[in-house]
Amino acid sequence: MGLFVNILILAVIFGFAGYQIYRAVKRSKQGKCAACDYDCEAKKMLNQSKKRAM
Amino acid sequence: MNHFMIKQFNGLDDATAQRLHSLGLQVGSSVQAVRFYPFHGPVIIQVDHQKIGIRYRVFKLLTGGKPL
Amino acid sequence: MTTVALLGNPNTGKTTLFNELTDKYAYVGNWTGVTVEKKVGQIRHSHTKVIDLPGVYSLNPITKDESVVTNYLLGHSPDLILNVTNASQLKRNLLLSVEVLELGVPVIITLNMIDDLKRTGHYYNLKTLSTELGCPVRTTNARNKEGLTELKADLVRDQSEIKPNLPLKLNYPLMVNQAIRQAATSLTKDYKVEPKFAHWLAIQYINNNKVVRKYATMHQLKPLLSQKAYYDAQKFDDQIFETRLSFIEKTLASATEQLKSTQHVAITSKIDKVVTHPIFGLPIFVGIFYLMFKLSFDWIGTPLSGYLDGFLSGPISSWANQFLTQAGALPMLRSLIVNGLIAGVGGVLVFIPQIFVLFACITILEDSGYMSRAALVTDRIMEMIGLNGKAFIPLIIGFGCNVTGIMAARTIEQPKERLITTLISPFMSCSARLPIYSLFVAALFPRHQALIVLSLYFLGIVVALFMAKFYHVIFKAKEHSVFIVELPQYHIPRLDIVWHGTWDKGKGFIKKAGTIIFAGTVLIWLLSNFGVHGYVTQIDQSFAANLGQILLPVFKPIGISTWQPISALLTGVLAKEVISSSMMVLFHTSNQTALIAMIGGSFTAISAYALLVFILLYIPCFATIGTIKSETGSAKWAAYSVISSLAISYTLAFLIFQIGSLLM
Repeated sequence: MGLFVNILILAVIFGFAGYQIYRAVKRSKQGKCAACDYDCEAKKMLNQSKKRAM
Repeated sequence: MNHFMIKQFNGLDDATAQRLHSLGLQVGSSVQAVRFYPFHGPVIIQVDHQKIGIRYRVFKLLTGGKPL
Repeated sequence: MTTVALLGNPNTGKTTLFNELTDKYAYVGNWTGVTVEKKVGQIRHSHTKVIDLPGVYSLNPITKDESVVTNYLLGHSPDLILNVTNASQLKRNLLLSVEVLELGVPVIITLNMIDDLKRTGHYYNLKTLSTELGCPVRTTNARNKEGLTELKADLVRDQSEIKPNLPLKLNYPLMVNQAIRQAATSLTKDYKVEPKFAHWLAIQYINNNKVVRKYATMHQLKPLLSQKAYYDAQKFDDQIFETRLSFIEKTLASATEQLKSTQHVAITSKIDKVVTHPIFGLPIFVGIFYLMFKLSFDWIGTPLSGYLDGFLSGPISSWANQFLTQAGALPMLRSLIVNGLIAGVGGVLVFIPQIFVLFACITILEDSGYMSRAALVTDRIMEMIGLNGKAFIPLIIGFGCNVTGIMAARTIEQPKERLITTLISPFMSCSARLPIYSLFVAALFPRHQALIVLSLYFLGIVVALFMAKFYHVIFKAKEHSVFIVELPQYHIPRLDIVWHGTWDKGKGFIKKAGTIIFAGTVLIWLLSNFGVHGYVTQIDQSFAANLGQILLPVFKPIGISTWQPISALLTGVLAKEVISSSMMVLFHTSNQTALIAMIGGSFTAISAYALLVFILLYIPCFATIGTIKSETGSAKWAAYSVISSLAISYTLAFLIFQIGSLLM
């Protein structure tokens, strides 16, 4: 296995891990609703009210 | 036996009174007390085939007692 | 696309019906407030979207989750509302139906749990009901899939095929009727509100609906606002309630039919005689929990997890090692995959059996209807600390995950009680903490595993209750809390519902293994393999070691004498499972047995217990911190929660270690 492939795999693993930590921190700032993947009506309403507040 | 009639909703806070109304209770409803818990713990009452747990204080008020 | 909104009282089997109708299943429970947020699903092979709204007793909300429904109706107009009712408690269920029918949106009412009704010896004439209420009435029994095909056929219609309903018009007392008419007319004329909606808005406003009143204030609906004092002084809300109730009683009386053969099976009463016993109720509650832990740790969970570990750390690990060596991977990559990912992430994944057994037990408790009984038997104790028995349910749900526990606290009526419940929720020992308990009890308390773990759970509860009392005094919370709990009929837990519930709770754990646990493991591997001089072969020179060494003096008083657990604790904030995977990486072990031996060597029984107590109570994980922030609406409470739990955990661990060392 070439050095390049080694480095590539390492980079992918580290990149993915870093992205996950970034996402966890970002999501924790928004709370449970953001952690849910479904864009439900309640969430839409929440987002709208947020926009209005800004 | 353990049959009571609801005499009043006076003296209850709004939320409790509203919730009891939503469960179909009104002045004049007849209620069966199924179980009392010790130390003035909750009371299980049965109304229209449904069992509901309420606080002893609320039960006393509903059945015409003085506010504690 | 047709939108159907599912609406009904709590405990009507609404969520079960939703799951039977749609592809995507939501989370089911026989406890009020399981649907804490709306769920959306699609009916199989159709263009119909179904929205499952939280169960409500009326459109005038008392709790936070109930207001979701009223807000939904204010802001959206579904093509059809499916009103799910509990057939044997139709009287109070129709109170909500009347409110919905007044809206004038097409409604179908289904009498669900129709079997329970038949057992009570009577039945309703559906035609009479349908004529009186002015909408189609169906019967279903979602648990046995009865009547679902017919109901589905009603729902998958095209928007254009749905027959419009006329709004239900009740004969309110003259004065009330006049007030409604006047307000509605002027809303339509001056504010261009659609007439049917204006009519409904006026009734709801007069009936003192808090959300509608807020809505009217926000939109400056003068015809309503100007009359507020008049409506309230005349007690129109009481009159509206009485009119509705007498309408319902009349309707039901005309529709009731007696069944000839009645086999009244009072199974619920029989079970309740035992489990809600005034004296034995509480010990039975504790017993049920002991059984739950026995199942998870001694009988089913731990043995299965042992096999899984043997497989992962044996064949899988050595195969991966060989494969990577042959493929010419760098030693660093090999170490990352074998000692980092397989040992770390795998080390957490082997706890799937324990966690799933525990989740299955919680799901069975929820589905059977026991939860509300638990609320009842614990109410007297909770009253002493100023909460009520209902607060116990979010706490128990918190055993699964603190985030869902905090969400379930939305069903608590009093805002201060809700805040208190939210703040004490992180002390509940969530399933993510199980792996690390398992490791330590296996190492140091092999004979009393279930007992030690149970003691931690109870310690969590005790600390939570103690803090609740403390907050109650500090916040000067009002004496009277709302405690009204409905005791639903027991259901025999159905296998597929239990499986769905378990999977719904457990899939988060598996998902986390691929995301945040993975990330935490990579992080700790990096910290333990790199030092100030770059890549290190000796772990003692790594960043993780340096960091742990620096903090060691702080942790010495609670009995930690090596740096590894300290570094593991730091990464544990990402997610509590990461503590276990970090330990695997930091102690450089590839299997559980080796790690258990290592732990056994560097801890005594007391220092291990002190550490477990610290892990139980210290900083909540990121997800929980975020949820506290979003539910309380302030970052201050989230920060407070972090600091207070750190202080409490340190103090308790300190006391346990110091006093314990003196005694031994």
